[in-house]
Amino acid sequence: MKTILAVDDSATMREMVTFVLESAGYRVIEAEDGAQGLDRASAQNVDLVITDQNMPNMDGLTLVRSLRELRDYKSVPILLLTTESSDSMKSQGRAAGATGWLVKPFDPATLLEVVQKVLR
Amino acid sequence: MNRKANGSTHASDAAKAADLLVTVASTLNERLAVTADELARSQSLLREASDELMTAFRGAADRIVAAQRGADAEKSDEYGLVLDHLYRACQHLQSHDLVNQLIDAQKLRVDKMREKLVQALSLAAPPVSRPDEAEPWIERSRAMLDCIVAGIRQIDQDAHAPLGDKHHAGSVDLF
Repeated sequence: MKTILAVDDSATMREMVTFVLESAGYRVIEAEDGAQGLDRASAQNVDLVITDQNMPNMDGLTLVRSLRELRDYKSVPILLLTTESSDSMKSQGRAAGATGWLVKPFDPATLLEVVQKVLR
Repeated sequence: MNRKANGSTHASDAAKAADLLVTVASTLNERLAVTADELARSQSLLREASDELMTAFRGAADRIVAAQRGADAEKSDEYGLVLDHLYRACQHLQSHDLVNQLIDAQKLRVDKMREKLVQALSLAAPPVSRPDEAEPWIERSRAMLDCIVAGIRQIDQDAHAPLGDKHHAGSVDLF
């Protein structure tokens, strides 16, 4: 069973992501911000990270950069799931090493398609 | 004598301008207090509705995820239909959450502006040292205006409203 780390400071958003992923058979661990996400990912290897951008303590792009510096996360897919949709933010995400960019509110079926695709 | 009369007219005009500024600042502060109250009421109603919906959603979601495990093909199709309904609800619950965050950002903006207005009004509280001269009134008005302008400048600080626009909602870019 693949394990996915869902990072978002909104409890509702984490719950929505977790529900959708668990309904498709994935195991999900949650983190409330980038700093906690980095701790969780360091403590336990995950197969995919889905993170929000605007969060206290550490934002999503910083989390992506920090994860890419870890040997175990050089090639693990990382998706940004955020309300930010500007091209400049997406470019920053790409430069930081993110695998993809999804804009909230997400469509559950689309999220599952993307997850399947990047986990292949 | 004319100079004295002129100076007194200037002081009177400057005092009126300062009073007008106080009236504007206090009226704006009162209106913002009403706005803050309405935002708080809106958020409270939204939270109540969201909590109820989340409880119902959670109950249905937990049951369907548990029932799906080990279900035969026929049942699995049926559960799939139920899941589709929950997925739709999931999208709308996200919107509730985003609206809640938007209200948080607006509340923060209103609170910060009110803070500065109160600060500006406090500058007008002590009596003017030389009320028959224009300069102290002008200085007072300038200090109040500086305070209000500073409030306007910092209004967006720390207010991280979710940006979402309908056009891009749900869009995907894979790099």
